[in-house]
Amino acid sequence: MRLAAALLGVLLATPAWAGDCPLDLGRGTGWVVFSDDYLMAFRADPLHIEVGEPFALLINVCTRRGGAAELLAVDANMPAHRHGMNYRATIVAKGDGRFRAEGLLFHMPGRWEINFDVRAGDESERLTHDIILK
Amino acid sequence: MIRLVLLVALLAAGTVGVRAQQLLDWSPEEISAVGQHGPWPPPPVQDPSNRVSGIAAGVVLGEHLFNEPRLSGDGRMSCATCHQAGREWSDGLAKARGAVELDRRTPSLWNIGYLHWFGWDGAGDSLWAQSIRPLLDPREMNGGPTRAGELLRNDAAFACGYEKAFGSKPGTDDERLLVDTAKALAAFQATLVSPRTPFDEFRDALVDGDRDRASRYPLAAQRGLKLFIGDANCNLCHLGPRFTSGEFGDIGIPFFVRPGVVDPGRLGGLQRLSASPFNLLGKYNDDVTASNTRRVRHVQRQHSNFGEFRVPGLRQAGRSGPYMHNGSLARIEDVVRHYSEVSPDRLHSDGTPLVRPLGLTPQQSADLVAFLRSLDAETPPRPAPAPLCP
Ligand code: HEC
Ligand code: HEC
Repeated sequence: MRLAAALLGVLLATPAWAGDCPLDLGRGTGWVVFSDDYLMAFRADPLHIEVGEPFALLINVCTRRGGAAELLAVDANMPAHRHGMNYRATIVAKGDGRFRAEGLLFHMPGRWEINFDVRAGDESERLTHDIILK
Repeated sequence: MIRLVLLVALLAAGTVGVRAQQLLDWSPEEISAVGQHGPWPPPPVQDPSNRVSGIAAGVVLGEHLFNEPRLSGDGRMSCATCHQAGREWSDGLAKARGAVELDRRTPSLWNIGYLHWFGWDGAGDSLWAQSIRPLLDPREMNGGPTRAGELLRNDAAFACGYEKAFGSKPGTDDERLLVDTAKALAAFQATLVSPRTPFDEFRDALVDGDRDRASRYPLAAQRGLKLFIGDANCNLCHLGPRFTSGEFGDIGIPFFVRPGVVDPGRLGGLQRLSASPFNLLGKYNDDVTASNTRRVRHVQRQHSNFGEFRVPGLRQAGRSGPYMHNGSLARIEDVVRHYSEVSPDRLHSDGTPLVRPLGLTPQQSADLVAFLRSLDAETPPRPAPAPLCP
């Protein structure tokens, strides 16, 4: 079953203020999430997330000032049903603020909230992004 | 004469009336939801963890082993004792009967090759690993660790069949031969793909926009399908062409086995999975890329796994009761009544419950049953397997 992920995000276009932040994930696709302090871009691998199929996320993260930031954890849950994933993602740092979160799996259609815990220095913060799987 | 004309006129009106009624209105969203339950059949299974998967000689060897009682301790029980071709690859019993009565129902093996977790609790992460358990389990075939190896080495036909499938004569390593036996069994089981059904004809016609063909699908089944993908939310769990997410859920079926004993379901399955030397992280995984280990590496054990069981596929289900992991519901009508009346106290959920008492009217219940039965088809009798070594 092919399932296109309907996305509530801002489509990726490298903003002028991004500085040296490596937001380009290749293939011209992905989503940007940002807060006062952080800037993050990510896309799924494979590009289309299918219900019941494992996938990875490629994630680039940095501070708004273009400094290095770290990705601590990635997790996801369905707020409507208050359940998480049956799988735990592991994170591999690829250097230069690039990360790969491996082993995610969405086992149900509906709204999934993905949480990214990021850190630069002592301050950590949670960025979130919603994906609707049909 | 007037009577006759009237009758003809009435008949004509009737036909037109029926025609016009044969297809409900289907919105684009509904058509897309229905479309996701197909196409059928899917492409043949290729399991990279099993080097004889999809290999004709492996399939033939597997079918002979499947029917072979010499693999059991008392020489009287084979896989086919419980997984019977004429009973949708199950046995029609509420609980399986091996050396003793087991605590769970024998699942059907239709479309088994497309799954990723096996057994009601998902204790197996490959079809071949799952096929080892009944060979060894003292409550099932009780074959012991060396019986498969002895059979493959000492029986001329099996020895020849083994060589054709695996490319070498059976060696002396009994554990490896046990695994290879299971891999041949898996190669065979993966070929058990259920036939196309009235639902598949409807689904394809609807997706193709062919109203004439679509309108052959009974109205009751159409209404039941609308419920299934709509208000009843059945397709949150019973999704895709096989009508299962392949994952686990708790729909309020009691998990007491007998007083004081519970079936922990998925929680116990995850324990057995990590303890098994035959899981995909072990040395018997034939996939050198190990890309098929993603689920087993990342799966996490959670409290909520207690009392969860694998979401069963629904194809051929109408023909193969009893139902549920413990065979506690006899007929498909009883299953629909369960979803209609299930007590919310039995469901452990603090969010929007995935399963809630639907309070179906008799008509809606009948519609849902009509839809479920449209996932069934007649299966031709199975011919005898090709000889091992002609
Ligand atoms: C005594 C009856 C019995 C016999 C004999 C038996 N099985 Fe089963 N089978 C069961 C039961 C009961 C289950 C469910 C087990 C569980 O959930 O723990 C099962 C589960 C399975 C499954 C997993 C199905 C699913 O839906 O995940 C497979 C595959 C399987 N058996 C294959 C075999 C093979 C191959 C053999 C012969 C080597 C065999 N069985 C012999 C009763 C039997
Ligand atoms: C939360 C996920 C979920 C939802 C929603 C759900 N089911 Fe199920 N279904 C399951 C699970 C899990 C089982 C097996 C439970 C057990 O054995 O304890 C099951 C069992 C069944 C069975 C029995 C199959 C068998 O072989 O034993 C049928 C039929 C069925 N469901 C139909 C439906 C229908 C119809 C609906 C909608 C009214 C529905 N399901 C909604 C998860 C779900």
